[in-house]
Amino acid sequence: MAKIVAEHLKYKYPLSEKLALYDISFTIEPGEFIGIIGENNAGKSTLCQAMVGIVPNFYKGAYGGKVLIGDMEIAKSNISDICKKVGIVFQNPFNQVTGCKLTVYEEVAFGLENMGLPRSEMIDRIDYSLKLLDIYKYKDRNPFDLSGGQMQRMAIASIIAMRPEVIILDEPTSQLDPQGSEEVFRAVQNLSREGITIIMVEHKMEKIAEYSDRVMLLHEGKLIAFETPEKIFSRDDLDCYGVTAPAYTRICKSLGIKNKKTGFYPVTLEETKSLIGFSEKERCPYDQN
Amino acid sequence: MIHKLDPNSKIIYIFVANIAPALIGARMATASFILISIVILTIGKVLHKTAPMLEFSGLILLTVAIIQGIFHQGNTTVAFALGSVVFYKEGLMFALGIALNVINILMSFSILVLTTKPSDMVETFVHMGLSPRLGYVMSSVFQIIPQMTKTMATITDAQRSRGMETEGKLKTRIKAFFPLISPVVMNSLISTKERAIALEVRGFGSKQKKTFLNDLQKTRYDDIFRFVLILILILSIFWRVLIWLK
Ligand SMILES: Nc1ncnc2c1ncn2[C@@H]1O[C@H](COP(=O)(O)OP(=O)(O)O)[C@@H](O)[C@H]1O
Ligand SMILES: [Mg+2]
Repeated sequence: MAKIVAEHLKYKYPLSEKLALYDISFTIEPGEFIGIIGENNAGKSTLCQAMVGIVPNFYKGAYGGKVLIGDMEIAKSNISDICKKVGIVFQNPFNQVTGCKLTVYEEVAFGLENMGLPRSEMIDRIDYSLKLLDIYKYKDRNPFDLSGGQMQRMAIASIIAMRPEVIILDEPTSQLDPQGSEEVFRAVQNLSREGITIIMVEHKMEKIAEYSDRVMLLHEGKLIAFETPEKIFSRDDLDCYGVTAPAYTRICKSLGIKNKKTGFYPVTLEETKSLIGFSEKERCPYDQN
Repeated sequence: MIHKLDPNSKIIYIFVANIAPALIGARMATASFILISIVILTIGKVLHKTAPMLEFSGLILLTVAIIQGIFHQGNTTVAFALGSVVFYKEGLMFALGIALNVINILMSFSILVLTTKPSDMVETFVHMGLSPRLGYVMSSVFQIIPQMTKTMATITDAQRSRGMETEGKLKTRIKAFFPLISPVVMNSLISTKERAIALEVRGFGSKQKKTFLNDLQKTRYDDIFRFVLILILILSIFWRVLIWLK
């Protein structure tokens, strides 16, 4: 499994005056779940695209520093080679449908056909990823006849079938209804259990806090902090970066409840519950016998 | 059953159906192939679908027959006269030859087009060496056009629900058209770029030789069908050579 290393990454879109990414360096270990947060136009999508080579291979522009996936240098590789190691899922499920395939099953096959895999291997991989994303039952449907959540899971399945070591999700639920979002989050959790490295941009901070091992906070193209969710969301200056901490953290902050062991405010419901000494036993003392 | 034949077999049929009569050089041969095509289309239950196309080309061929019947260069033998307009046999026979050829081409292509899924057809072309990019454009047309029509309907609905008049007099319709078309165009420009990126990250630009999920498998029928076709082709070449030798 490959590490992701960025060294002094800088990037400016063509025809743009300011840098979209400004001197970004970090290392992501294999199997980590990384959350990326920051206000609109902070450079989150650009950073995601820089890890798959869309920047600078699809969008040209001025580029400096480097990004390495294992020993592969992104700026010097073709997207068609990078995509075997790093997969990406975008916001709009609709625009990720190839539009040249008649069934969900064939749609997932698209990437594998391009990779030149033998047929039997394709079938194994498609079956596996459709089941992992829980859409095997729709395999004979037309891709455009799926709901948003199903379509987005199909997009994820299409990427998973290519067996990347890293999967990047750029606001995968921002265009979905609550039910569709929940479906996608459950799917993402499943992927994480499979040991694949996950990088997710998301505005729902509760989800970021719940899933992430570490969180990147971006602002105006700069990497402000790259820490555990507890540390990030305990910061006092979050509002300067247009970010709001999860509800639990905000409540505990105003009540002054800190986790004594770590010295940070809690970020998930579970942690909050255990800190305020809430237990099922106390809630229903007479139910236990 | 015809639907299950490998598209390649149908392409071979188109080839033989058009080359063999040319080699044999008799109108009867062309007519026979038209008959065979009709039989095949009937078995495939798609003969009725050729009607609109035949009506259209029939109209053109009739015009050709009239013009050639009256004005063909080699016209000498009078066939019949309608009032003062005289039709000649040579011209009419010449037009008949053209008609048979055109119908033969149309019918043999119809077998391929009407009994093959568009996606299979495109895949066969890509197998045969068509660029995957062009293949993509061809097959996405079958998918994306209905989608664009849907988007158009959604946007019209949205605008109507905001109180815009989109129906009625021509003037209202034209007025409604521009605000309608700009989101549609903007939408499709953005989605085209996004889709292009989505295709790239699924290895579309790969130089690797593509493989295919659907394996368009030859069946026993394909073998028989192709054997007969090749036999016909060989016999007609033989026939041509015999004529030359005489
Ligand atoms: N295709 C593009 N061409 C030019 N500038 C762009 C393009 N995409 C994004 N930008 C600019 O780059 C900056 C970062 O954008 P982006 O990465 O999309 O931010 P985020 O995903 O955090 O909202 C913004 O200032 C945005 O205007
Ligand atoms: Mg973005």
